[in-house]
Amino acid sequence: MPRKFRPGVVFQPATYRGMQGGIDKLAKAIRPTLGPRPRVVAMDKVEYYESMPRLLDDGATIARLIRRLPDRDEDVGAMYLRDVLWRLQNEVGDGTATAAVLFQSVYNQGVHYLTSGGNARRLHTFLERGLRAVLDELTTMTVQLDGREQLAAVAETVCYDPPLAELLGEVFEVVGEFGRVEIRAGRSRQLEREYVEGMYWERGVLSRDMIADWEHVRTELEEPAILISDLEIKDPRQLLPPIAMAIEARYRSLLIMVGDMSESAIGLLLANKHPEKLRVVAVRTPGYGKEQQAWVLQDLAVLTGGRAFAQVAGDTFSRMRPEDFGHARRGWADLNTFGIVGGKGNPRQLRQHIITLRNAYEQTDDPHTRDLLRQRIGKLLGGSATLWVGGNTELEINARKERAERAAAALRGAMLHGVLPGGGVALLNCRPVLQRMLAEASDPDERAAYRILMRALAEPLRTIVSNAGFDASDVMAQLKLAGPGYGFDVRREQVVDMLKAGIYDAAVVQKSVVYTAVASAAQALTVDVLVHRSEPERASMPDPLTPKRL
Amino acid sequence: MTQQPADIPDVVYALVAAPGFARHGICFAARPAGLFRSDDGGRTWRDLYTGLNFERPVTTAALAVSPAFENDGCLFAGVPGGVLRSSDGGQTWHAAGLGTPPPFVSVLAVSPDFANDGTLFAGTLEDGVFRSADGGSHWAAWNFGLLDLNVLCMVVSPDFARDETLFVGVESGLYRSTTGGRAWREPAADRHGPQPADFAPVLSLAISPHYATDGTLWAGSEAHGLFCSRDRGKSWARLGEGSIHGAVNSIVVASDYPTNPHLLVSLGDRLLVSRDDGLSWQEWPLGVNPEGSIIALAASLGLTPGAPLSFVRSIVTSPLSGTSP
Repeated sequence: MPRKFRPGVVFQPATYRGMQGGIDKLAKAIRPTLGPRPRVVAMDKVEYYESMPRLLDDGATIARLIRRLPDRDEDVGAMYLRDVLWRLQNEVGDGTATAAVLFQSVYNQGVHYLTSGGNARRLHTFLERGLRAVLDELTTMTVQLDGREQLAAVAETVCYDPPLAELLGEVFEVVGEFGRVEIRAGRSRQLEREYVEGMYWERGVLSRDMIADWEHVRTELEEPAILISDLEIKDPRQLLPPIAMAIEARYRSLLIMVGDMSESAIGLLLANKHPEKLRVVAVRTPGYGKEQQAWVLQDLAVLTGGRAFAQVAGDTFSRMRPEDFGHARRGWADLNTFGIVGGKGNPRQLRQHIITLRNAYEQTDDPHTRDLLRQRIGKLLGGSATLWVGGNTELEINARKERAERAAAALRGAMLHGVLPGGGVALLNCRPVLQRMLAEASDPDERAAYRILMRALAEPLRTIVSNAGFDASDVMAQLKLAGPGYGFDVRREQVVDMLKAGIYDAAVVQKSVVYTAVASAAQALTVDVLVHRSEPERASMPDPLTPKRL
Repeated sequence: MTQQPADIPDVVYALVAAPGFARHGICFAARPAGLFRSDDGGRTWRDLYTGLNFERPVTTAALAVSPAFENDGCLFAGVPGGVLRSSDGGQTWHAAGLGTPPPFVSVLAVSPDFANDGTLFAGTLEDGVFRSADGGSHWAAWNFGLLDLNVLCMVVSPDFARDETLFVGVESGLYRSTTGGRAWREPAADRHGPQPADFAPVLSLAISPHYATDGTLWAGSEAHGLFCSRDRGKSWARLGEGSIHGAVNSIVVASDYPTNPHLLVSLGDRLLVSRDDGLSWQEWPLGVNPEGSIIALAASLGLTPGAPLSFVRSIVTSPLSGTSP
């Protein structure tokens, strides 16, 4: 029988009680997955065709799959936290379990304080003040990564898979923080990687008849002249000036890039009876939409030293000059992709162009724009890597691939923004700053805020230790004696200097986790009234489950 | 066939004294006319390509000798499109291509641990760096992050087996690899002081024999003089500002640096030596007037004052040698 939803308005203390119940349920479902020895969460059939529960050890996935709680007041709290975790997942790709634990601690302590007479708005203000101090302290603690071993250590904190982490460390040491890494499902049990020199785009030849080597389904061009454009070639005569110019300059091969080309224009290129004199291959301009295509034109022009002919600028080939061609040592194209090796543009201009793109990357907050900029920089740096993730079953391969993608995202962040002592130690080490602020504060709301934060910052470490089967209070006492920087290595089952032991967390992830969890929990504490509509909208999927391009 | 240097009226691109030169006097010279070997400290030379029956002289612009030459006899020559390797001191040769279009090999460098890792590198003028891990039989391009593929010079860390570090000087600056040549980055991170991009092209490089501990290397530029970095290339300081001008074609560092902090640089037709780690410089007496710039330089017997023989070679057709001042 379909459930009946009644509209209603909920006031305190039912608001806190309801939200707290939902937040607790979601956080408790995610909490066991935190740390290198996670517990597994079994989720009942998610899709109708599934015959057995899904076994999950990833907080983000668990949050995504919990879409509604039966109690409507609790549902508000749970969906609030779910949205917080998904925003975090989309932003940095990791840290949802830590965020859930932090959020739950701040919220529960906050509710406890507010129900005994505290002021929610003032508490919110002081929590944010403490948060800023914590973020500053994390910045002070940040160190830069150096070398393959450290990269592998960061990867392992995310994927908990030493062979995979080691390979990711090698791959990212080679390609760098902006490098192009494709992670694919492997065809065997093994992990494999391949490095490809030069850069390539996902646009193939305009006609299969342009493939010269059918054994490898590929056409190779030596020392090609490159015509860079997004023009739409309808009349074959539009192509005559560049072709004549290439013949006159005695170029042996010509790579033409156009937005589109008519059948008759393609026919003109295929009618070439002397490919030994001038081999011509045409490809479509890469990029989705005019803006992305304009970026590709710009990058290729810098890379090859040519001029970009842009439709939007009203350019045509009729007035082109020989120096408008770009050049490279080699070019190649197949049915789906084309590539360039050894572009002959000015290296100084290329270097400057990459610096400009890096600055833009640092300044933008839009994840999509950042992703596109990273791809552009990666291409210009001149290489890419493909990692094939193997396993025993398709399920295992997919799970391992997903962990590899998360680890790769964390590695990029760690390479760009440094690392912190892992295992919850960095957060724990922020407590002395709050202790000093607490000593100087006299306002009850302010003092409560710092106390809440101090306790919450210890919670991730306590959870990691508990999940691994140890007594958190006992370990905390050991850490107090050991001093700052020391944490508990649950694998070796001993207290160690986390940085020396190679146990790291990506700084950008930890900062995002703390910021998102604390700021969102502080905001949630200001909610006083819940309003239920007659038919609640189904919680939307926060993000399509398409594989991330790295 | 034995030839006197005077019979070969062309340029010497590279000059290498084999390990153990003091005992056997074996050295090699790479020239447009081919590769030449001397067994008597440079007095007489013979063409090592005679057995190959080339139709025309094969320009040899780069040259490298195995650190274990006395045991393995390995010798490498960079020729257009590939690398020739010999494991008997140059009597017989094997060719390895570097792919198409044929690259011009401008510099070769061998891993100090070549006997174990079989690794060597070829820098090219348009195709970046190639690496071989099997003693020169097979080569692959390794240019991740190398934005400028015009390689002019290269040095390999003496501690390569551990740190996998090497540097290349290119037309637009300097790049460092800490991944055994697989990936390259610009090392400069400290924006104080000159950066390699500011004094590029980098024509010559030299690395401290104790690079693993002192992190010191030197870079010679085409137009801005000599620079030194003591932090693995992150920051640079100009050396000999009052005395070193113009193109620094080659740099030689004393093998017992920094115990004896001696440096020797070639500047056009002059040689300058420093005995105090680059603080002051004095002219090295050549004894003859070279015709043109000195671009190849070897000092296999050290730079200690009063050394019985230091070995210097230039593009002139007569041999140059002298005793260090």
